[in-house]
Amino acid sequence: MTRSRPIVLAAMLVMLAVAVAVGAASGSVAYSPATIVDTVLHPHASGQASLVLWSLRFPRIAIAALVGGALSVAGTLMQDLLGNPLVDPYLTGASAGAAFAIALAIAGGIPAAAYSAVALGASLATTLLVAALSRTGTGLSVERMIVAGIALSSLFAGLTTLVILWTPSSPVSLNILAWLGGSLAGHGWSDLRWAALYAAAGMVLALAAIPALNAMRLGVRRAQALGVDLDRTRWLVVIATCLLTSAAVSVSGIIGFIGLIVPHIVRAAIGHDVRWNVVAAVPTGAAILIVADAVARSVAPPTELPLGILLSLLGVPAFLYLATRRAKVA
Amino acid sequence: MIEARALTLAYTSVVLEDVTLSVRTGELLAIVGPNGAGKSTLLRALAGIQTPLRGTVSVDGEHIAHMAPQTRAKHVTLVEVDEVTVGEMTVREAVALGRLPYRPWWRWSQAANDEAIVAGALERTDLAAQADRQIEALSSGERQRVWVALALAQQAPNLLFDEPTSHLDLRHATRMLSLLRELASDGAAVVIVVHDLNLAAAHADRIALLGTGRMLACDVPEQVFVEDLLSTAYSTPIVVRRIDGMLLAGPAAPPARRMLL
Repeated sequence: MTRSRPIVLAAMLVMLAVAVAVGAASGSVAYSPATIVDTVLHPHASGQASLVLWSLRFPRIAIAALVGGALSVAGTLMQDLLGNPLVDPYLTGASAGAAFAIALAIAGGIPAAAYSAVALGASLATTLLVAALSRTGTGLSVERMIVAGIALSSLFAGLTTLVILWTPSSPVSLNILAWLGGSLAGHGWSDLRWAALYAAAGMVLALAAIPALNAMRLGVRRAQALGVDLDRTRWLVVIATCLLTSAAVSVSGIIGFIGLIVPHIVRAAIGHDVRWNVVAAVPTGAAILIVADAVARSVAPPTELPLGILLSLLGVPAFLYLATRRAKVA
Repeated sequence: MIEARALTLAYTSVVLEDVTLSVRTGELLAIVGPNGAGKSTLLRALAGIQTPLRGTVSVDGEHIAHMAPQTRAKHVTLVEVDEVTVGEMTVREAVALGRLPYRPWWRWSQAANDEAIVAGALERTDLAAQADRQIEALSSGERQRVWVALALAQQAPNLLFDEPTSHLDLRHATRMLSLLRELASDGAAVVIVVHDLNLAAAHADRIALLGTGRMLACDVPEQVFVEDLLSTAYSTPIVVRRIDGMLLAGPAAPPARRMLL
Protein backbone atom coordinates (compact mmCIF):
# COMPACT_ATOMS: atom_id res chain seq x y z
CA MET A 1 0.00 0.00 0.00
CA THR A 2 2.76 2.45 1.02
CA ARG A 3 4.63 2.23 -2.28
CA SER A 4 1.49 2.48 -4.39
CA ARG A 5 0.11 5.62 -2.70
CA PRO A 6 1.62 8.11 -5.18
CA ILE A 7 0.26 5.98 -8.04
CA VAL A 8 -3.23 5.94 -6.49
CA LEU A 9 -3.08 9.70 -5.95
CA ALA A 10 -1.97 10.20 -9.56
CA ALA A 11 -4.91 8.03 -10.71
CA MET A 12 -7.24 10.21 -8.65
CA LEU A 13 -5.90 13.33 -10.33
CA VAL A 14 -6.44 11.72 -13.74
CA MET A 15 -10.02 10.91 -12.67
CA LEU A 16 -10.47 14.54 -11.67
CA ALA A 17 -9.26 15.66 -15.12
CA VAL A 18 -11.73 13.26 -16.76
CA ALA A 19 -14.51 14.54 -14.47
CA VAL A 20 -13.72 18.12 -15.46
CA ALA A 21 -13.92 17.14 -19.14
CA VAL A 22 -17.24 15.34 -18.54
CA GLY A 23 -18.57 18.33 -16.59
CA ALA A 24 -17.62 20.73 -19.38
CA ALA A 25 -19.05 18.53 -22.13
CA SER A 26 -22.34 17.63 -20.45
CA GLY A 27 -25.52 19.63 -20.13
CA SER A 28 -28.47 20.74 -22.17
CA VAL A 29 -25.99 21.45 -24.99
CA ALA A 30 -23.21 18.88 -25.41
CA TYR A 31 -19.74 19.99 -26.54
CA SER A 32 -17.05 17.87 -28.12
CA PRO A 33 -13.58 17.62 -26.52
CA ALA A 34 -12.15 19.63 -29.46
CA THR A 35 -14.57 22.49 -28.82
CA ILE A 36 -13.74 22.48 -25.10
CA VAL A 37 -9.99 22.53 -25.73
CA ASP A 38 -10.39 25.30 -28.31
CA THR A 39 -12.49 27.36 -25.87
CA VAL A 40 -9.96 26.91 -23.09
CA LEU A 41 -7.12 27.99 -25.39
CA HIS A 42 -9.08 31.04 -26.64
CA PRO A 43 -10.87 32.41 -23.59
CA HIS A 44 -11.83 35.70 -25.21
CA ALA A 45 -13.31 34.22 -28.37
CA SER A 46 -16.92 35.05 -29.13
CA GLY A 47 -19.60 32.48 -29.76
CA GLN A 48 -22.07 30.36 -27.87
CA ALA A 49 -19.56 27.71 -26.72
CA SER A 50 -17.25 30.30 -25.20
CA LEU A 51 -20.15 32.02 -23.45
CA VAL A 52 -21.67 28.80 -22.08
CA LEU A 53 -18.38 27.28 -20.99
CA TRP A 54 -16.70 30.35 -19.46
CA SER A 55 -19.79 31.92 -17.92
CA LEU A 56 -21.73 28.85 -16.83
CA ARG A 57 -19.94 25.53 -16.87
CA PHE A 58 -16.39 26.39 -15.84
CA PRO A 59 -17.44 28.38 -12.76
CA ARG A 60 -19.88 25.61 -11.94
CA ILE A 61 -17.13 23.00 -12.25
CA ALA A 62 -14.87 25.11 -10.05
CA ILE A 63 -17.64 25.44 -7.43
CA ALA A 64 -18.38 21.70 -7.60
CA ALA A 65 -14.67 20.98 -7.10
CA LEU A 66 -14.51 23.35 -4.14
CA VAL A 67 -17.67 21.95 -2.52
CA GLY A 68 -16.74 18.32 -3.13
CA GLY A 69 -13.16 18.78 -1.97
CA ALA A 70 -14.09 20.87 1.08
CA LEU A 71 -16.84 18.52 2.31
CA SER A 72 -14.64 15.47 1.74
CA VAL A 73 -11.72 16.93 3.72
CA ALA A 74 -14.12 18.07 6.47
CA GLY A 75 -15.61 14.58 6.63
CA THR A 76 -12.16 12.98 6.83
CA LEU A 77 -11.14 15.29 9.66
CA MET A 78 -14.31 14.72 11.70
CA GLN A 79 -14.22 10.95 11.24
CA ASP A 80 -10.61 10.83 12.37
CA LEU A 81 -11.14 13.18 15.30
CA LEU A 82 -14.13 11.25 16.62
CA GLY A 83 -12.76 7.84 15.60
CA ASN A 84 -16.13 7.15 14.02
CA PRO A 85 -16.46 6.38 10.30
CA LEU A 86 -20.18 7.14 10.32
CA VAL A 87 -19.74 10.83 11.07
CA ASP A 88 -20.28 13.50 8.43
CA PRO A 89 -19.13 17.13 8.44
CA TYR A 90 -22.65 18.41 9.12
CA LEU A 91 -22.48 16.86 12.60
CA THR A 92 -21.62 20.23 14.09
CA GLY A 93 -24.94 21.68 12.91
CA ALA A 94 -23.39 23.82 10.16
CA SER A 95 -25.90 22.77 7.52
CA ALA A 96 -28.98 22.96 9.75
CA GLY A 97 -28.03 26.43 10.97
CA ALA A 98 -27.40 27.64 7.42
CA ALA A 99 -30.66 26.09 6.22
CA PHE A 100 -32.67 27.91 8.87
CA ALA A 101 -30.96 31.23 8.15
CA ILE A 102 -31.51 30.84 4.39
CA ALA A 103 -35.17 29.90 4.95
CA LEU A 104 -35.59 33.08 6.98
CA ALA A 105 -33.70 35.11 4.37
CA ILE A 106 -35.81 33.80 1.48
CA ALA A 107 -39.07 34.21 3.43
CA GLY A 108 -37.96 37.70 4.47
CA GLY A 109 -37.31 38.73 0.87
CA ILE A 110 -33.58 39.29 1.21
CA PRO A 111 -31.93 39.49 -2.25
CA ALA A 112 -30.59 36.19 -3.58
CA ALA A 113 -27.13 37.71 -3.94
CA ALA A 114 -26.87 37.76 -0.16
CA TYR A 115 -27.72 34.08 0.36
CA SER A 116 -24.11 32.91 0.24
CA ALA A 117 -23.08 35.40 2.91
CA VAL A 118 -26.09 34.49 5.06
CA ALA A 119 -25.35 30.76 4.78
CA LEU A 120 -21.67 31.32 5.51
CA GLY A 121 -22.39 33.40 8.60
CA ALA A 122 -25.08 31.06 9.92
CA SER A 123 -23.06 27.87 9.49
CA LEU A 124 -20.03 29.48 11.16
CA ALA A 125 -22.19 30.76 14.02
CA THR A 126 -23.88 27.37 14.55
CA THR A 127 -20.59 25.48 14.61
CA LEU A 128 -19.08 27.95 17.05
CA LEU A 129 -22.21 27.69 19.23
CA VAL A 130 -21.88 23.90 19.25
CA ALA A 131 -18.19 24.24 20.14
CA ALA A 132 -19.04 26.68 22.95
CA LEU A 133 -21.64 24.24 24.32
CA SER A 134 -19.04 21.45 24.17
CA ARG A 135 -16.48 23.19 26.34
CA THR A 136 -15.68 21.61 29.68
CA GLY A 137 -13.26 22.54 32.42
CA THR A 138 -10.55 20.46 30.76
CA GLY A 139 -11.20 21.44 27.14
CA LEU A 140 -13.43 20.51 24.25
CA SER A 141 -15.46 17.33 24.80
CA VAL A 142 -16.15 15.42 21.59
CA GLU A 143 -19.03 13.55 23.23
CA ARG A 144 -20.71 16.81 24.16
CA MET A 145 -20.05 18.11 20.67
CA ILE A 146 -21.93 15.19 19.13
CA VAL A 147 -24.88 15.70 21.48
CA ALA A 148 -24.93 19.49 21.01
CA GLY A 149 -24.57 19.14 17.21
CA ILE A 150 -27.44 16.66 16.97
CA ALA A 151 -29.62 18.73 19.32
CA LEU A 152 -29.06 22.02 17.49
CA SER A 153 -29.47 20.33 14.09
CA SER A 154 -32.85 18.98 15.20
CA LEU A 155 -33.86 22.37 16.55
CA PHE A 156 -32.92 24.20 13.35
CA ALA A 157 -34.50 21.52 11.15
CA GLY A 158 -37.76 21.98 13.07
CA LEU A 159 -37.56 25.76 12.81
CA THR A 160 -36.82 25.54 9.07
CA THR A 161 -39.93 23.40 8.54
CA LEU A 162 -41.91 25.91 10.55
CA VAL A 163 -40.71 28.77 8.32
CA ILE A 164 -41.70 26.78 5.20
CA LEU A 165 -45.14 25.95 6.64
CA TRP A 166 -45.81 29.52 7.74
CA THR A 167 -44.70 31.05 4.45
CA PRO A 168 -47.92 32.09 2.72
CA SER A 169 -46.50 32.13 -0.81
CA SER A 170 -45.81 28.73 -2.35
CA PRO A 171 -43.10 30.03 -4.78
CA VAL A 172 -41.17 31.23 -1.75
CA SER A 173 -41.59 27.84 -0.05
CA LEU A 174 -40.42 26.11 -3.22
CA ASN A 175 -37.42 28.43 -3.36
CA ILE A 176 -36.50 27.43 0.20
CA LEU A 177 -36.94 23.75 -0.61
CA ALA A 178 -34.80 24.11 -3.75
CA TRP A 179 -32.01 25.62 -1.66
CA LEU A 180 -32.32 22.83 0.90
CA GLY A 181 -32.11 20.26 -1.90
CA GLY A 182 -28.64 21.49 -2.76
CA SER A 183 -27.72 22.85 -6.15
CA LEU A 184 -24.86 24.55 -7.96
CA ALA A 185 -27.19 26.31 -10.37
CA GLY A 186 -27.09 30.07 -10.72
CA HIS A 187 -23.61 30.59 -9.29
CA GLY A 188 -20.75 32.32 -11.05
CA TRP A 189 -17.11 33.19 -10.54
CA SER A 190 -18.00 35.96 -8.08
CA ASP A 191 -19.57 33.44 -5.67
CA LEU A 192 -16.30 31.57 -5.48
CA ARG A 193 -14.31 34.41 -3.97
CA TRP A 194 -15.32 34.18 -0.31
CA ALA A 195 -15.96 30.46 -0.40
CA ALA A 196 -12.47 29.81 -1.78
CA LEU A 197 -10.92 32.04 0.86
CA TYR A 198 -12.73 30.24 3.69
CA ALA A 199 -11.99 26.82 2.23
CA ALA A 200 -8.28 27.72 1.88
CA ALA A 201 -8.13 28.86 5.51
CA GLY A 202 -9.88 25.65 6.56
CA MET A 203 -7.42 23.59 4.53
CA VAL A 204 -4.40 25.23 6.19
CA LEU A 205 -5.85 24.47 9.64
CA ALA A 206 -6.61 20.92 8.49
CA LEU A 207 -2.99 20.44 7.46
CA ALA A 208 -1.87 21.71 10.87
CA ALA A 209 -4.03 19.09 12.60
CA ILE A 210 -2.92 16.14 10.49
CA PRO A 211 0.19 14.96 12.43
CA ALA A 212 -1.82 14.94 15.67
CA LEU A 213 -4.74 13.11 14.03
CA ASN A 214 -2.33 10.48 12.75
CA ALA A 215 -1.00 9.95 16.28
CA MET A 216 -4.57 9.77 17.63
CA ARG A 217 -5.09 6.66 15.50
CA LEU A 218 -3.03 4.91 18.20
CA GLY A 219 -5.58 6.01 20.80
CA VAL A 220 -5.85 9.32 22.61
CA ARG A 221 -3.70 8.15 25.51
CA ARG A 222 -0.78 7.21 23.27
CA ALA A 223 -1.25 10.44 21.35
CA GLN A 224 -0.97 12.37 24.62
CA ALA A 225 2.21 10.49 25.48
CA LEU A 226 3.54 11.49 22.04
CA GLY A 227 3.04 15.13 22.93
CA VAL A 228 -0.26 15.72 21.14
CA ASP A 229 -2.21 18.59 22.64
CA LEU A 230 -5.67 17.03 22.44
CA ASP A 231 -7.56 20.23 23.11
CA ARG A 232 -5.61 22.21 20.51
CA THR A 233 -6.17 19.45 17.96
CA ARG A 234 -9.91 19.33 18.64
CA TRP A 235 -10.22 23.10 18.23
CA LEU A 236 -8.14 23.02 15.05
CA VAL A 237 -10.33 20.33 13.55
CA VAL A 238 -13.59 21.96 14.62
CA ILE A 239 -12.59 25.35 13.20
CA ALA A 240 -11.17 23.79 10.01
CA THR A 241 -14.34 21.73 9.52
CA CYS A 242 -16.44 24.79 10.25
CA LEU A 243 -14.65 26.88 7.60
CA LEU A 244 -14.68 24.11 4.98
CA THR A 245 -18.32 23.21 5.54
CA SER A 246 -19.46 26.83 5.67
CA ALA A 247 -17.62 27.57 2.43
CA ALA A 248 -19.38 24.62 0.76
CA VAL A 249 -22.84 25.34 2.15
CA SER A 250 -22.64 28.99 1.13
CA VAL A 251 -22.41 28.14 -2.58
CA SER A 252 -24.27 24.85 -2.82
CA GLY A 253 -26.94 24.58 -0.14
CA ILE A 254 -27.15 21.26 1.64
CA ILE A 255 -25.30 18.50 -0.18
CA GLY A 256 -25.21 15.42 1.97
CA PHE A 257 -23.34 12.13 1.97
CA ILE A 258 -20.30 13.26 0.00
CA GLY A 259 -18.56 14.17 3.27
CA LEU A 260 -19.47 10.77 4.65
CA ILE A 261 -18.70 8.55 1.69
CA VAL A 262 -15.56 10.06 0.17
CA PRO A 263 -13.36 9.44 3.24
CA HIS A 264 -14.32 5.75 2.98
CA ILE A 265 -13.54 5.59 -0.73
CA VAL A 266 -10.19 7.27 -0.10
CA ARG A 267 -9.29 4.94 2.79
CA ALA A 268 -10.15 1.91 0.68
CA ALA A 269 -7.95 3.22 -2.13
CA ILE A 270 -4.97 4.70 -0.31
CA GLY A 271 -4.93 3.39 3.25
CA HIS A 272 -5.55 5.02 6.61
CA ASP A 273 -2.69 7.53 6.86
CA VAL A 274 -4.44 10.85 7.54
CA ARG A 275 -1.84 12.79 5.52
CA TRP A 276 -2.66 10.89 2.33
CA ASN A 277 -6.37 10.75 3.16
CA VAL A 278 -6.73 14.53 3.38
CA VAL A 279 -4.70 15.15 0.24
CA ALA A 280 -6.54 12.45 -1.74
CA ALA A 281 -9.97 13.55 -0.47
CA VAL A 282 -9.67 16.77 -2.48
CA PRO A 283 -9.51 15.31 -6.03
CA THR A 284 -11.84 12.43 -5.15
CA GLY A 285 -14.58 14.61 -3.65
CA ALA A 286 -14.15 17.17 -6.41
CA ALA A 287 -14.40 14.54 -9.18
CA ILE A 288 -17.49 12.89 -7.68
CA LEU A 289 -19.35 16.17 -7.27
CA ILE A 290 -18.40 17.44 -10.75
CA VAL A 291 -19.72 14.22 -12.31
CA ALA A 292 -22.83 14.19 -10.08
CA ASP A 293 -23.55 17.78 -11.08
CA ALA A 294 -23.11 16.88 -14.74
CA VAL A 295 -25.62 14.04 -14.25
CA ALA A 296 -28.01 16.32 -12.34
CA ARG A 297 -28.21 18.77 -15.24
CA SER A 298 -28.12 16.19 -18.06
CA VAL A 299 -30.83 13.71 -16.99
CA ALA A 300 -33.85 15.83 -17.94
CA PRO A 301 -32.72 19.13 -19.51
CA PRO A 302 -33.53 21.92 -19.11
CA THR A 303 -34.76 20.83 -15.65
CA GLU A 304 -32.05 20.03 -13.14
CA LEU A 305 -32.26 17.37 -10.46
CA PRO A 306 -31.40 18.82 -7.05
CA LEU A 307 -27.78 17.77 -6.53
CA GLY A 308 -28.19 17.12 -2.80
CA ILE A 309 -31.11 14.82 -3.45
CA LEU A 310 -29.30 13.00 -6.25
CA LEU A 311 -26.32 12.36 -3.96
CA SER A 312 -28.64 11.26 -1.15
CA LEU A 313 -30.24 8.71 -3.47
CA LEU A 314 -26.78 7.30 -4.17
CA GLY A 315 -25.46 7.91 -0.66
CA VAL A 316 -28.17 6.22 1.40
CA PRO A 317 -27.45 2.71 0.09
CA ALA A 318 -23.72 3.32 0.59
CA PHE A 319 -24.34 4.56 4.14
CA LEU A 320 -26.51 1.55 4.99
CA TYR A 321 -23.86 -0.76 3.57
CA LEU A 322 -21.19 0.86 5.76
CA ALA A 323 -23.39 0.80 8.84
CA THR A 324 -24.25 -2.87 8.47
CA ARG A 325 -20.65 -3.80 7.68
CA ARG A 326 -19.48 -1.92 10.78
CA ALA A 327 -22.10 -3.69 12.90
CA LYS A 328 -20.88 -7.04 11.60
CA VAL A 329 -17.26 -6.14 12.40
CA ALA A 330 -18.27 -5.02 15.91
CA MET B 1 14.95 12.17 36.57
CA ILE B 2 11.40 12.47 37.89
CA GLU B 3 10.45 14.02 41.18
CA ALA B 4 6.95 14.07 42.66
CA ARG B 5 6.27 16.20 45.71
CA ALA B 6 3.25 15.85 47.99
CA LEU B 7 1.03 14.61 45.17
CA THR B 8 -2.66 14.21 45.83
CA LEU B 9 -4.54 12.64 42.94
CA ALA B 10 -8.28 12.56 42.53
CA TYR B 11 -11.10 11.88 40.11
CA THR B 12 -14.46 12.42 41.79
CA SER B 13 -12.84 11.47 45.10
CA VAL B 14 -9.24 11.36 46.28
CA VAL B 15 -7.42 8.24 45.03
CA LEU B 16 -3.97 8.81 46.44
CA GLU B 17 -2.75 11.30 48.97
CA ASP B 18 0.54 12.96 49.76
CA VAL B 19 2.92 10.92 47.59
CA THR B 20 6.51 12.09 47.43
CA LEU B 21 9.01 10.08 45.43
CA SER B 22 11.85 10.48 42.99
CA VAL B 23 13.29 8.28 40.29
CA ARG B 24 16.89 8.88 39.42
CA THR B 25 18.65 8.43 36.12
CA GLY B 26 19.77 4.80 35.78
CA GLU B 27 17.15 3.55 38.20
CA LEU B 28 14.20 1.19 37.73
CA LEU B 29 11.35 1.81 40.15
CA ALA B 30 8.39 -0.56 40.35
CA ILE B 31 5.04 0.63 41.63
CA VAL B 32 2.96 -2.16 43.17
CA GLY B 33 -0.28 -2.31 45.08
CA PRO B 34 -3.79 -3.75 45.01
CA ASN B 35 -6.41 -2.94 42.37
CA GLY B 36 -7.70 0.61 42.71
CA ALA B 37 -4.69 1.75 44.73
CA GLY B 38 -3.96 4.49 42.18
CA LYS B 39 -0.89 2.96 40.49
CA SER B 40 -1.90 3.90 36.94
CA THR B 41 -3.18 7.28 38.10
CA LEU B 42 0.18 7.98 39.73
CA LEU B 43 1.97 6.94 36.53
CA ARG B 44 -0.21 9.27 34.46
CA ALA B 45 0.54 12.11 36.88
CA LEU B 46 4.29 11.40 36.59
CA ALA B 47 3.83 11.57 32.79
CA GLY B 48 2.16 14.97 33.08
CA ILE B 49 -1.09 13.69 31.57
CA GLN B 50 -3.10 13.61 34.80
CA THR B 51 -3.27 16.94 36.60
CA PRO B 52 -2.79 16.45 40.34
CA LEU B 53 -5.24 17.95 42.80
CA ARG B 54 -2.28 19.08 44.87
CA GLY B 55 1.48 18.76 44.61
CA THR B 56 3.97 18.97 41.76
CA VAL B 57 5.87 16.77 39.34
CA SER B 58 9.26 17.78 37.93
CA VAL B 59 11.01 16.07 35.05
CA ASP B 60 14.71 16.68 34.49
CA GLY B 61 14.47 19.63 36.85
CA GLU B 62 11.57 21.33 35.08
CA HIS B 63 8.03 21.62 36.37
CA ILE B 64 6.02 19.29 34.10
CA ALA B 65 2.89 21.46 34.25
CA HIS B 66 4.86 24.29 32.64
CA MET B 67 6.09 22.21 29.72
CA ALA B 68 4.41 22.33 26.30
CA PRO B 69 3.07 18.85 25.41
CA GLN B 70 5.60 18.44 22.60
CA THR B 71 8.51 19.40 24.87
CA ARG B 72 7.20 17.13 27.61
CA ALA B 73 7.12 14.22 25.14
CA LYS B 74 10.87 14.65 24.55
CA HIS B 75 11.49 14.22 28.28
CA VAL B 76 8.99 11.62 29.41
CA THR B 77 6.75 9.02 27.84
CA LEU B 78 4.10 6.65 29.11
CA VAL B 79 3.26 3.23 27.70
CA GLU B 80 -0.18 1.96 28.57
CA VAL B 81 -1.82 -1.30 27.60
CA ASP B 82 -5.21 0.00 26.45
CA GLU B 83 -6.30 -1.78 23.29
CA VAL B 84 -7.43 0.37 20.39
CA THR B 85 -8.43 -0.40 16.83
CA VAL B 86 -5.78 1.37 14.79
CA GLY B 87 -7.04 0.40 11.34
CA GLU B 88 -4.55 -0.19 8.58
CA MET B 89 -1.07 0.52 9.94
CA THR B 90 2.16 -1.44 9.84
CA VAL B 91 4.37 -1.94 12.87
CA ARG B 92 7.01 0.30 11.30
CA GLU B 93 4.51 3.10 10.61
CA ALA B 94 3.28 2.96 14.21
CA VAL B 95 6.77 3.02 15.69
CA ALA B 96 7.75 5.89 13.36
CA LEU B 97 5.06 7.99 15.08
CA GLY B 98 7.44 8.00 18.05
CA ARG B 99 9.40 10.67 16.18
CA LEU B 100 6.41 13.03 16.23
CA PRO B 101 7.66 15.23 19.10
CA TYR B 102 10.75 16.09 17.05
CA ARG B 103 8.86 17.36 14.02
CA PRO B 104 7.11 20.68 13.51
CA TRP B 105 3.54 20.22 12.18
CA TRP B 106 4.43 21.34 8.67
CA ARG B 107 7.10 18.67 8.23
CA TRP B 108 5.41 15.41 7.33
CA SER B 109 8.41 13.41 6.21
CA GLN B 110 10.96 11.68 8.40
CA ALA B 111 14.20 13.38 9.38
CA ALA B 112 17.47 11.84 8.18
CA ASN B 113 18.15 9.83 11.34
CA ASP B 114 14.53 8.85 12.08
CA GLU B 115 14.70 5.67 10.02
CA ALA B 116 17.76 4.41 11.94
CA ILE B 117 16.14 5.26 15.30
CA VAL B 118 12.94 3.41 14.37
CA ALA B 119 14.95 0.41 13.11
CA GLY B 120 16.88 0.38 16.41
CA ALA B 121 13.65 0.44 18.44
CA LEU B 122 12.25 -2.45 16.39
CA GLU B 123 15.47 -4.40 16.82
CA ARG B 124 15.53 -3.92 20.59
CA THR B 125 11.97 -5.17 20.98
CA ASP B 126 12.44 -8.20 18.71
CA LEU B 127 10.10 -6.74 16.13
CA ALA B 128 12.46 -6.27 13.18
CA ALA B 129 11.01 -9.30 11.42
CA GLN B 130 7.46 -8.06 12.00
CA ALA B 131 8.12 -4.48 10.85
CA ASP B 132 5.95 -4.66 7.75
CA ARG B 133 3.07 -6.61 9.30
CA GLN B 134 -0.23 -4.95 10.09
CA ILE B 135 -0.67 -4.19 13.80
CA GLU B 136 -4.17 -5.66 13.77
CA ALA B 137 -2.68 -9.00 12.69
CA LEU B 138 -0.36 -9.23 15.72
CA SER B 139 -1.01 -11.07 18.96
CA SER B 140 -1.68 -8.92 22.03
CA GLY B 141 1.81 -9.71 23.32
CA GLU B 142 3.42 -8.60 20.06
CA ARG B 143 1.28 -5.44 20.08
CA GLN B 144 2.48 -4.71 23.59
CA ARG B 145 6.05 -4.80 22.31
CA VAL B 146 5.06 -2.41 19.51
CA TRP B 147 3.98 0.15 22.13
CA VAL B 148 7.31 -0.28 23.90
CA ALA B 149 9.14 0.17 20.58
CA LEU B 150 7.09 3.33 20.01
CA ALA B 151 8.33 4.67 23.36
CA LEU B 152 11.92 3.77 22.49
CA ALA B 153 11.64 5.63 19.17
CA GLN B 154 10.48 8.63 21.17
CA GLN B 155 13.90 8.67 22.90
CA ALA B 156 12.61 10.26 26.10
CA PRO B 157 15.05 9.77 28.99
CA ASN B 158 12.21 9.09 31.44
CA LEU B 159 10.12 6.03 30.61
CA LEU B 160 6.92 5.01 32.35
CA PHE B 161 5.29 1.63 31.69
CA ASP B 162 1.88 0.54 32.90
CA GLU B 163 1.77 -3.25 33.12
CA PRO B 164 4.52 -3.83 30.52
CA THR B 165 4.28 -7.61 30.93
CA SER B 166 0.51 -8.09 31.21
CA HIS B 167 0.09 -9.78 27.82
CA LEU B 168 3.47 -11.49 27.70
CA ASP B 169 4.41 -15.10 28.31
CA LEU B 170 7.12 -15.85 30.87
CA ARG B 171 9.97 -15.74 28.35
CA HIS B 172 8.87 -12.45 26.79
CA ALA B 173 8.01 -10.98 30.21
CA THR B 174 11.53 -11.73 31.43
CA ARG B 175 13.04 -10.36 28.23
CA MET B 176 10.89 -7.24 28.50
CA LEU B 177 12.00 -6.57 32.07
CA SER B 178 15.61 -7.23 31.10
CA LEU B 179 15.18 -4.68 28.30
CA LEU B 180 13.76 -2.11 30.73
CA ARG B 181 16.66 -2.87 33.06
CA GLU B 182 19.06 -2.27 30.16
CA LEU B 183 17.36 1.03 29.37
CA ALA B 184 17.89 2.11 32.96
CA SER B 185 21.54 1.03 32.76
CA ASP B 186 21.86 3.08 29.58
CA GLY B 187 20.86 6.18 31.53
CA ALA B 188 17.05 6.27 31.54
CA ALA B 189 14.85 6.68 34.59
CA VAL B 190 12.33 3.84 34.33
CA VAL B 191 9.11 3.41 36.27
CA ILE B 192 6.89 0.36 35.86
CA VAL B 193 3.54 -0.57 37.32
CA VAL B 194 3.32 -4.34 37.82
CA HIS B 195 1.01 -6.72 39.61
CA ASP B 196 3.57 -9.48 39.98
CA LEU B 197 5.42 -8.71 43.20
CA ASN B 198 8.11 -11.27 42.46
CA LEU B 199 8.93 -9.81 39.05
CA ALA B 200 9.14 -6.41 40.73
CA ALA B 201 11.53 -7.72 43.38
CA ALA B 202 13.67 -9.47 40.79
CA HIS B 203 14.10 -6.51 38.45
CA ALA B 204 13.50 -3.22 40.29
CA ASP B 205 16.05 -1.19 42.23
CA ARG B 206 13.29 0.12 44.46
CA ILE B 207 9.62 -0.66 44.97
CA ALA B 208 6.89 1.86 45.76
CA LEU B 209 4.05 0.09 47.58
CA LEU B 210 0.65 1.75 47.38
CA GLY B 211 -2.34 0.84 49.51
CA THR B 212 -5.14 2.34 51.58
CA GLY B 213 -4.93 5.60 49.59
CA ARG B 214 -1.29 6.28 50.40
CA MET B 215 2.24 5.25 49.53
CA LEU B 216 3.08 2.80 52.30
CA ALA B 217 6.75 2.35 51.40
CA CYS B 218 9.30 3.25 48.74
CA ASP B 219 12.52 1.40 49.25
CA VAL B 220 14.74 -1.44 48.10
CA PRO B 221 12.83 -4.74 47.71
CA GLU B 222 14.23 -6.19 50.97
CA GLN B 223 12.71 -3.32 52.94
CA VAL B 224 9.32 -3.46 51.19
CA PHE B 225 8.95 -7.24 51.22
CA VAL B 226 7.82 -7.30 54.82
CA GLU B 227 4.87 -9.57 55.52
CA ASP B 228 2.95 -7.11 57.70
CA LEU B 229 3.46 -4.28 55.24
CA LEU B 230 2.36 -6.29 52.19
CA SER B 231 -0.56 -7.85 54.11
CA THR B 232 -1.78 -4.37 55.09
CA ALA B 233 -1.47 -3.09 51.51
CA TYR B 234 -3.33 -6.00 49.96
CA SER B 235 -5.74 -6.59 52.89
CA THR B 236 -4.91 -10.28 52.78
CA PRO B 237 -2.28 -12.40 54.57
CA ILE B 238 0.94 -12.51 52.56
CA VAL B 239 4.03 -14.52 53.27
CA VAL B 240 7.55 -13.63 52.16
CA ARG B 241 10.30 -16.19 51.60
CA ARG B 242 13.85 -15.99 50.30
CA ILE B 243 14.70 -18.96 48.09
CA ASP B 244 18.10 -19.24 46.42
CA GLY B 245 18.66 -15.55 47.06
CA MET B 246 15.36 -14.56 45.41
CA LEU B 247 12.67 -12.71 47.32
CA LEU B 248 9.28 -14.31 46.81
CA ALA B 249 5.93 -13.14 48.12
CA GLY B 250 2.58 -14.82 47.82
CA PRO B 251 -0.74 -15.24 49.54
CA ALA B 252 -0.63 -17.30 52.69
CA ALA B 253 -2.28 -20.67 51.94
CA PRO B 254 -5.86 -20.84 53.21
CA PRO B 255 -6.41 -22.99 56.35
CA ALA B 256 -7.94 -25.93 54.44
CA ARG B 257 -4.96 -26.05 52.06
CA ARG B 258 -2.51 -25.83 55.01
CA MET B 259 -4.12 -28.86 56.60
CA LEU B 260 -3.60 -30.87 53.43
CA LEU B 261 0.03 -29.86 53.34
